[in-house]
Amino acid sequence: MKKLLLIALTLIVVGCANIVKVEGEQTINSKMTVKLPQAWNKVNLPGGQQPYELWTQDGVFVDQLRIWAGINSGANLVVAPQKNSQGKAPRVPVFSSGMKLDQIASLFEQMYAIDGSAVTLDKVEPASFGAQQGVRVEFSVVVQGSNLQLKGVAWAAEHKGQFYATSYVAPRLSFFPRYLPQVQDIAKSAVIKA
Amino acid sequence: MAVGGMFSGLQAQAQTTHPPEADLGKRFDRPAIDTDEGGMWAMMDREETRLRRSPLVIRDADLTKYLQDMVCQLTQTHCPDVRVHVVRTPWFNASMAPNGMMQVWSGLLLRVENEAQLAVVLGHELAHYLERHSIERLRDMKNRAAAAQFIGMFGLAGAIGQLGILAGMFAFSREHETRADRLGMKLLQQAGWSGEEAPKVWGNLLDEVKIVGGEDVGKRSPLFATHPAIEDRRNELSKLITAGGQSKPEPLVKVLEKHRLSWVQDEIRRGQFEESMVLFGRMIKANPQDALALYGRGESHRLRAGKDDTDKALADLQMATAADSAEKKTVPEAWRSLGLVHQQRKDAAPAVQAFEKYLALAPEAADANLIKHYLTELKP
Repeated sequence: MKKLLLIALTLIVVGCANIVKVEGEQTINSKMTVKLPQAWNKVNLPGGQQPYELWTQDGVFVDQLRIWAGINSGANLVVAPQKNSQGKAPRVPVFSSGMKLDQIASLFEQMYAIDGSAVTLDKVEPASFGAQQGVRVEFSVVVQGSNLQLKGVAWAAEHKGQFYATSYVAPRLSFFPRYLPQVQDIAKSAVIKA
Repeated sequence: MAVGGMFSGLQAQAQTTHPPEADLGKRFDRPAIDTDEGGMWAMMDREETRLRRSPLVIRDADLTKYLQDMVCQLTQTHCPDVRVHVVRTPWFNASMAPNGMMQVWSGLLLRVENEAQLAVVLGHELAHYLERHSIERLRDMKNRAAAAQFIGMFGLAGAIGQLGILAGMFAFSREHETRADRLGMKLLQQAGWSGEEAPKVWGNLLDEVKIVGGEDVGKRSPLFATHPAIEDRRNELSKLITAGGQSKPEPLVKVLEKHRLSWVQDEIRRGQFEESMVLFGRMIKANPQDALALYGRGESHRLRAGKDDTDKALADLQMATAADSAEKKTVPEAWRSLGLVHQQRKDAAPAVQAFEKYLALAPEAADANLIKHYLTELKP
């Protein structure tokens, strides 16, 4: 794992990753807008386009804000790992239209536990996202290998059969509380386009 | 060929002689720091210091003592040099570093059916330690990257996580694995556990890895390819079975009881529902009234939400809550899941009943507000 992280870090350093500054109002996948109180870094990592936008303040190995907009029913919420020769790959969280709020909350649980990291749901409650009835999830993660203790929060909702969400994960002691107010503002500002 | 079919002839091959005593030799002296082995020990000492601080370590003195006692029964004079750490990681694995640091993962403890099966895995890992395979393996390695990966096997969980189930039993060379299987069987049986449980460990492993790897995973997977084929390994183990020995399921059940719910939930959170269903199905076959296993399989069906999954989830969760009530234990999560299934089926009255039971049992649950929200929707 450390070796892979080092390679990924090296690729970023040498410029394989595309990092751009984002600020003001941003449109996600032509389906949703959010307003940023301060500038963030938008990152496109090499090797596989994820179905979400990835933003960070202090680097993707420290904190990650993910935003999904207009994800169709049946679509993966993260890129599936490589298939084996039998055409099978480990399952990844998949959105299905009509999911109840608890099922949507479970998608985040699975997303961060897929590598064997220990995930604990701290709070799950109804909440508005993009003016839709949705769910807010607070969770904790102990990352496999690094033992890093992270705190996470996510908001999600369904609109016209499509998935809209944002999640933020960062080390629990300093980074998470530092950026949580900004993240909450971003989540509150979400507007799903008609 | 079905796994059960392959096992059917194993007992007939069992020997009736007493197992030969394994000569484990005297305790190891710490190697000099300026040697390759001494350097490896020093690295492992640092890893162990990190591991002791890890939030993933399960700090249960009774469980650790139980496992340490098993290690002592298996290794005799070497017992004081082995330190057991239980780690919260949902895969079937254990590892043994050359400095005496042993990791036992929660996924292994969830999966073993009795003490003898656990002793099979611990005995195998201890055999690598007793025969000092790690330093032999390190000296054989031609490049630093391979050596670093090998050393990573003994460090904090994660480096081997990508290899998945039971990777610790594939870390060494073919010859080392065969020798560890043989010595592990001797240790197991001379300590009084049944050797007949050893081939079953492989059968259970195979059933799970087939889900993603396919029917011929035992022959094709790179993880298995450089090692004795599973069938060969099972057959070799079966030849080493001696009469007698006990499987001892009860002490294991007792010591793991307070952890099982969280480990079942960790297994479900992996999101690999088909693998989990194989595991929970095996547990239910062994004990049809196992409320936690019924909950685990029912919840896996509910979350997969495929064809017929709601009906299967309902059947399992009704049995789980009935078994839970009968045994006067509390698995509040089974009531929660049952309520959610009834809600999906638009059966409002039983959904309300199950949710109210859940909230009564777990009023401080993380999702209490969400369930209360559901109740307001369900009640007229």
